[in-house]
Amino acid sequence: MNNLNNAQPVPCDKILQTLVLFIDHELASEPEYQSYLNHFQECPECYEEMKYESDAIAFMKELLQMNCNEQAPQELHDRILQQTQVLAGQSQVQFFSSTTVTNFTFDGTTSIQVTQEFTQEFTQEFTQEIRHDFTQDQ
Amino acid sequence: MGVALSLMDINQSEVAVVDRATESVAQKKARFERDALQYTNQLYAAAMRYTKDPHDAQDLVQDTYAKAFVAFHQFEPGTNLKAWLYRILTTTFINTYRKDQRRPQISDGELEDWQIYDAASHTSDQGRSAEDVALEGIVDVDVRAALAAMSEDFRMAVYLADVEGFSYKEIAEIVGVPAGTVMSRLHRGRKLLRTSLAGYAKDRGFNRGGSDE
Repeated sequence: MNNLNNAQPVPCDKILQTLVLFIDHELASEPEYQSYLNHFQECPECYEEMKYESDAIAFMKELLQMNCNEQAPQELHDRILQQTQVLAGQSQVQFFSSTTVTNFTFDGTTSIQVTQEFTQEFTQEFTQEIRHDFTQDQ
Repeated sequence: MGVALSLMDINQSEVAVVDRATESVAQKKARFERDALQYTNQLYAAAMRYTKDPHDAQDLVQDTYAKAFVAFHQFEPGTNLKAWLYRILTTTFINTYRKDQRRPQISDGELEDWQIYDAASHTSDQGRSAEDVALEGIVDVDVRAALAAMSEDFRMAVYLADVEGFSYKEIAEIVGVPAGTVMSRLHRGRKLLRTSLAGYAKDRGFNRGGSDE
């Protein structure tokens, strides 16, 4: 049951070099996480270092989150709704939904390929049209 | 089939089983509007960090939703939709908007920097407290400016991890680089940001004492 507490001891330099993985919850496994916790219980220096780094990262996160929360303008919401409406209309006729290219071959069979480039070019052109519509509307 | 049945047993109202093969366009559209469009504000804020321009940011988000709708049948319901949309946003930015700018990408030597925590640089307690005091004076324009001044790779890593809360693995998939690279970019980006914010605060002087913009 208590395998976790028998985890291999980890030396200080390894702990310090990988502190950020502990703080970011990116350690590979639960036993590994536990071995860091065990280390912190017995090593006040490493614990202090972890606490400091963890607070600094949390502070920076808070600062970033407070300042990177712009709301999209209403126009953008409207554009996307209209675009979705039009795209749905297009895919009714099976033109849009699978972006296919049809090839005719010598033996009379027809093959259909999906091309990513086609999607990209096509959507690009299309989104510009929607934008154009919007500038005319206003 | 067995999976679908058992999901329906659990809770039919919460777990909508979608058969994408037989879904009508109207159903797909409704599902898209219900599930995907709620991220518009978040994607816009991310696009602002990427493009640094409100018009480009709007265009980028609109393009993202066009591609997302066209490809929506490929999205596996129940998996991480937000990460999927961020991946389209980021790929579109890298392929289109970044190309337009013709800005050379600064090489950050990311793979050489495997040591993700430099213990030696953080041993001075005095250095620390000076940095911390400095950050008290930070105002919002500084945060955005400091982010904008960073190289794009660092900015993306820091933004996706520390604002959006994506894991290293998710960021690796969104940006299209290995998780080790994400780790290195994130670590160095955070460090750079901390240093540059301390610089901004110092320039403004520490004792502005609550004066408003």
